[in-house]
Amino acid sequence: MNSRRLLGLGIIAILAGVGILAPLIAPYDPIRTGTVFLGPPSYENWLGTDDLGRDIFSRILYGTQTSLVIGFGAAIVASLVGVPIGLVGGYLRGKTDLVVVQMIDLFVALPGLVLALILTAMVGPSIPNLTLVLGFVMWPTMARLVRGQVLQIREAVFVEAARALGGRDSWIVYEHIWPNTIRIVSAQFAITVSFAIFTSASLSFLGLGVPPPTPDWGSMVREGFQFLALRPLMSIAPGAAVTFTILGFYLVGSSIER
Amino acid sequence: MTVHIIRRLLLMLPNVALLTFLLFVSVASLLGSPSAMMLGQDASPEAIAELNAIYGFDRPVLVQYADWMTSALQGDFGRSFTTQQSVAEAILPRIPITLELAFWAIVVAIAGATIINSIPIARRFIRPSASGLAIVGITVPNFMIGICLIYLFSVELRWLPTTGWVPWSDGVGAHLTHLIMPVVTLTAFYFGSFTLVYQAEYRAVSRELYIKVARAKGLSETHVSFRHTLPNSLLPVITYAGLSLGQLVGGAVVTETVFSIPGIGRLFVESIGTRDFPVMLAIGMVIIVGVMLMNLIADLVYTAVNPQIRLG
Repeated sequence: MNSRRLLGLGIIAILAGVGILAPLIAPYDPIRTGTVFLGPPSYENWLGTDDLGRDIFSRILYGTQTSLVIGFGAAIVASLVGVPIGLVGGYLRGKTDLVVVQMIDLFVALPGLVLALILTAMVGPSIPNLTLVLGFVMWPTMARLVRGQVLQIREAVFVEAARALGGRDSWIVYEHIWPNTIRIVSAQFAITVSFAIFTSASLSFLGLGVPPPTPDWGSMVREGFQFLALRPLMSIAPGAAVTFTILGFYLVGSSIER
Repeated sequence: MTVHIIRRLLLMLPNVALLTFLLFVSVASLLGSPSAMMLGQDASPEAIAELNAIYGFDRPVLVQYADWMTSALQGDFGRSFTTQQSVAEAILPRIPITLELAFWAIVVAIAGATIINSIPIARRFIRPSASGLAIVGITVPNFMIGICLIYLFSVELRWLPTTGWVPWSDGVGAHLTHLIMPVVTLTAFYFGSFTLVYQAEYRAVSRELYIKVARAKGLSETHVSFRHTLPNSLLPVITYAGLSLGQLVGGAVVTETVFSIPGIGRLFVESIGTRDFPVMLAIGMVIIVGVMLMNLIADLVYTAVNPQIRLG
């Protein structure tokens, strides 16, 4: 366990704790509007209030839930689609693989954010839709990595031995190939979570992501940006929360050797 | 080489056709009827049908696509629903702005990552600082970098203008001062990734025998580093830069929005917000073709830089 991964896991643990405990630790309701608009940081409102009088600190705490749900959800979708496709393409090779590679190449070159923008505009911005869209944007990367790994493993002696024993393909893939891809899949899983959180925050910042009044960091940065000169914390605090989260998942993802 | 380029361009065509078709179908079928949207909620079905007939939205998607593609190839992308301006007129002046932004971002990222990590003095200090900066660039979202820069340099210190775009013709100085913060914002992520890639390669090359020979000849550390190690470590960075060019468009969309730069990315976001069909399609098309062309260029540069690859 290296220090980088430990730090990343620590950050994720803190975020998970905050997300789960948000209703208990948040001092205010994140959606109910108040009477003090654009209030400065004070003893009552640690980070001040936004233009609708809502407590910014409470909204950031609740925003953890939104981010983590979208991030993990999207990574699960990307894995559920990408891993089987990568396994099958890499193991069977031939025509199946050709189709897989074609599909991957088609999408992998496109900028993820632009693809997500178009798809979200089509299906409409909601948390379940964003999760599906970001999962769809990220599956080709996952499939490509798994496929590359499988191409190496399938030539290993132990796979040949399994084949010599007369094992069926499905058994070989499940028992011998898949366990050897778990490492790369988990690294990519963490990277996918951080990418999904980054992209959904960007979409919200552009005004095309999680719709109001759901507490969402990207939307909060967008709202606060208009009042940057007056209340810098209104946009910088939720932006820092996004950064902290991305950092946590990036540290974990990059600490696992590929 | 020419044959090679032509072959690659021809190979690109099916992918471009498929992607633009998917783009067209998704925009056309899933956004709903644009006529209904243009006429508003109270429109009668007859009025919607009439407008559909005028614009030809009632024909099969494949016919609409072929039609759109034919006029697009002749430079006619239709008219914007919101401004009634011709789409080509709306888009063309914006493309150079985005391209310039992307160009500086990639140049600064490559130059920064390779030069900083090649400096032969104070390595113990410079390397870890560069790695730290790289992680900052990779993990801090670009809108956050942009906002922090604006707050620091425009609001607090008042050194730089906040937002907007000044063309070259209105003064080189003003152009450049407006360009600094957007370029830093856009380049940060790529500086980070390139640094990691370059550092790894630089370490590997430093162990090569010819580096030891260069040093044994009595060459200065600077000479060894910049004339021998750097050129031999450059290749992975160029490959990686080529692969990143497509993703750069995504960063440009955000950067242009933060700094109110009238580039193609901001227009894209606006067109999605207002459901401006023709503009959305045209920009999507420009992005798809642009990304593919850039990947091709990156590939060709890669071949040119690496003398080990010879084309048959």
